[in-house]
Amino acid sequence: MTLRGKASVYVGAALLRLILFLAFPGLPDLLTGRVEISTPVTSFKRLQEGLFLYTNNVSPYDGGVYHQAPLLLPLFSLLPSVKAWPIFTHLLYILVDVLSADALYKIAHSGEAGSSKLFTSPRRAKKWSGVAIAAAFLFNPYTIATCIGRSTGVFTTCAILHAISKAIYGSPFKAMVALSFASYLSMYPILLLPPVVLLAYDRQLEKRRVASGLQFAGTNVLVVVGCVAVLLGMSFVITGNSWEFLARTYGIQFTLSDLTPNVGLWWYFFIEMFDSFRAFFLGVFWLHLAAYPAALCFRLRPQPLAVLTIILGTFSIFKPYPSLADASLFLSMIPLFRHIFPLMRYSFVTTSTLLYATFLGPAFYHLWIYAGSGNANFFYAITLVWSLGQSLLVSDLTFALLRDEWEIERPDMIGKEIRQI
Amino acid sequence: MSRLLSSALSLRRDPRILKLPPYLSFLCILVGVVWLFLLPLNNYSRRTYISENALLPGQVHTYFGGSEHHVLRAYRHEVDEIVGQDNYQINDKLEEILTGVGLKVGRQNYTYHSAGDEYSGQNLYAILQAPRGDATEAIVLVAAWKNVEEQLNRNGVSLALTLVRYFKRWSLWSKDIILVIPPDSKTGTQAWVDAYHDAHNPELVAPLPLKSGALQGAIAIDYPQDRHFKAIHIIYDGPNGQLPNLDLINSIVNIAGGQMGMTTSIQKMKQHTNNYPDRLQTMLRGMLNQGLGYAAGAHSSFIPYHVDAVTLQPYGEGFQDEMAMGRLVEGSFRSLNNLLEHLHQSFFFYLLMQTDRFVSIGTYLPSAMLLAANFTIMAISLWVKSGQSATQGSGKSKSKGKGKKGAASAASTTIQNEGRDLFLPLAIVAACHALSVVPLYTFNRLPASMLAPAFAIFSAISAAIPLVISSLINVFYKPTTQHFQLTKSFSLLVLGMCLSTLATLNFSLAFLIGLLATPLSFVRPVKSAAVRWSLAGLLNVVAPPTVVYTAAHIWGISIADLLREASFGWNVWGMYTPVLIWCLWWPAWMVGVINVFGAASA
Repeated sequence: MTLRGKASVYVGAALLRLILFLAFPGLPDLLTGRVEISTPVTSFKRLQEGLFLYTNNVSPYDGGVYHQAPLLLPLFSLLPSVKAWPIFTHLLYILVDVLSADALYKIAHSGEAGSSKLFTSPRRAKKWSGVAIAAAFLFNPYTIATCIGRSTGVFTTCAILHAISKAIYGSPFKAMVALSFASYLSMYPILLLPPVVLLAYDRQLEKRRVASGLQFAGTNVLVVVGCVAVLLGMSFVITGNSWEFLARTYGIQFTLSDLTPNVGLWWYFFIEMFDSFRAFFLGVFWLHLAAYPAALCFRLRPQPLAVLTIILGTFSIFKPYPSLADASLFLSMIPLFRHIFPLMRYSFVTTSTLLYATFLGPAFYHLWIYAGSGNANFFYAITLVWSLGQSLLVSDLTFALLRDEWEIERPDMIGKEIRQI
Repeated sequence: MSRLLSSALSLRRDPRILKLPPYLSFLCILVGVVWLFLLPLNNYSRRTYISENALLPGQVHTYFGGSEHHVLRAYRHEVDEIVGQDNYQINDKLEEILTGVGLKVGRQNYTYHSAGDEYSGQNLYAILQAPRGDATEAIVLVAAWKNVEEQLNRNGVSLALTLVRYFKRWSLWSKDIILVIPPDSKTGTQAWVDAYHDAHNPELVAPLPLKSGALQGAIAIDYPQDRHFKAIHIIYDGPNGQLPNLDLINSIVNIAGGQMGMTTSIQKMKQHTNNYPDRLQTMLRGMLNQGLGYAAGAHSSFIPYHVDAVTLQPYGEGFQDEMAMGRLVEGSFRSLNNLLEHLHQSFFFYLLMQTDRFVSIGTYLPSAMLLAANFTIMAISLWVKSGQSATQGSGKSKSKGKGKKGAASAASTTIQNEGRDLFLPLAIVAACHALSVVPLYTFNRLPASMLAPAFAIFSAISAAIPLVISSLINVFYKPTTQHFQLTKSFSLLVLGMCLSTLATLNFSLAFLIGLLATPLSFVRPVKSAAVRWSLAGLLNVVAPPTVVYTAAHIWGISIADLLREASFGWNVWGMYTPVLIWCLWWPAWMVGVINVFGAASA
């Protein structure tokens, strides 16, 4: 589609958000308070607390409320106060969303999803334009809710999408820098490093080609390490020459010491846990999460973008503090694989499950917290359904990808039912 | 799991399976309705019991009586003297009395606007500080100056004054006791409870000058009659079908019946012979009250704040005097005073069919869920069918992302060539739901005098809109059968989803809407014009405007009054029934009628 189409989608999305911000002044605070949108590590309210302490020259981590990266504080302290001039904060969030959409547009435009260096899908002709995919991201209600709720997860989303798009367009250095920012902000994107390196390796520009895979990976890992080290060093200086922030930001994610409910699976499990088993199960949960990238990189080596999508899906199910921001990132990657939609089997079931969970989640949370007539099990049951819907989607997508690969080997099986035995 | 799913999916090919859903759906409705009618039987309902052992209802001796009767008579004279004066003068007098007893008194002004009317007044309340407590918990006694029927609550106010004077002398209270005297039963307590929890709109409702601890329970006295009474009517419905904890009702029934020898009744069933028809009638009345979501008394406003509350209303001619009523309140307060933590043991979701018989949510919920499931089943079957009739085989698997995208950006029409065309169906469903903002806004904002004509005009437009939309579609698009199947599928999916969510919040409302919307499961485009028009006529019988008119007729009130009350409920109590009628049921109905008028071109 034309440039005008792209611009109108971006402007439309920005206007929609602006109208929502301005026409319903109570809406941002309402959404910020929702546990589905704000987690302890992305909440805007907690950011405000940290900001207040920071501007008053107290360590932002003293209150025990703020668990986000220190470099967000100087950024937000540059903006005028959100109480007096909320419009600047709103514009920043809108801008970040549009930037993410632009990165997604570029990813879609490259056609990497349909034909990578090592694999070309026979169905690749069937795809949606970059504008349509960017629009699907920008007009997704989950993305809008995340933006209006001012979750700081949008910065991570933006950084991840830019890392992928830079990797595709043959600039590994920029990709690694973007990934370092994402990892610095939220830690878990560091697990995306192997597939991003593979993607960048596949899509190197001819003139700067590094043939040796090991050398390429080594350089890029060094870039990430260096970049993260610089960011951490800056944080060290900002927080008054103390490493306290490490324990308060990444430590929280490792040890799950803040058990505020969220849409994920961890909080309830660790509420119920006896303390003596806590360390063991934390290890198990993290190991489980960290096992996906390696395994998927081996199995789906020819399609690194597919690996990234599936990993983002598993993150939004299994990470310690997932929120709608993660789900919206995963859902926005899926339309890239339009060509294998005909191979997916449970799309209606998945959609209905996710929609039901979206409706029932707030209702059950209300029964638990406000009406007092339900209890924590109500909400946890719905987060299970939500995770079930997402895992169905992940497994269905994986099935479709593998079937697409398999049909190249077995052209005689195209269009036939298969059964797993 | 995956083997199960794939074998289930291979069944999908079977043509017999596709014929099944309408019958299955009908069966769901049938079972759902029959289920409800089984509930009053002994095998399905249970006797009530006290779950919270700390309550110990009826275990204490009550001492209210004797010389207190003289005090009561004296207060009644005081009250008689100020009858007919304005709100502020009444409060001046009451404040004088309560300060005289030795309580701290506060006042609160408030104003509400609804349907062009202004409701303003001043609440008066007094706090009795607990001799054995630390002001962290409180129990509320409400005696509104006027009850819901606008009768002067003469005995209620005098009795409440006597009771606090009497309570003041006891040293056993571990929770503060707050006496609230609002000028009426509909707005006053709402303003007071909102302000107590700092959830009020500061422009309309003043903050409270004095506060105590967390409210543990509230009892409202509604005692306008002068004569001795026979029995106690317990009113327990809150707004939006919320209910107080069953333990509170049980304790009061227990104290009244076991200790005082009074009979109790609920849901205006003054004659209850404990047989099936009476039980059923009680249950249905309760369901209707919950479904309408209308606040039933001065106690109702407490319930959304998780404060369990009931209104006690003496009625009939009998030998019980005011002091017996006072002892009942005393006994109940003694029980609440015993609580170690907030009432939480017993049920919050129940249907009472007698004062000592109930069904809990686990038993009755399936009936509303089955009704909601009927819509979901039809939605799924239509989805499957739409994929098969259009393009056999190739368009079988479909695009979930497409649905996402279409829902998100109805503007992009780039994708329509194969599989299912989702744009038109989604646009129709979205347009119908968007239109529903109009009646919701209109009927909650219009002044009372314009409500009746506006509703008449709206009913006519509502009957015409589906006709207009379907002819517009026929002119500008060439809709196929698949389009109509998908339209109906999406509409029913939304309906089923919202109703099953609603059933967890307000069972009765979900059941009533579900029941009235059942015909929508079975409508489809028809060829013959005569059948089409008669079907449309039948659907108009269950149209939301028609049902509202019928309801007003049955209750014997004018449509203007009904709408004014609904508007009042929305504006003051936050009653969400109008939202569900206009934004859920009405659009689903419109899509149903559009489906009837839809003439497939292919």
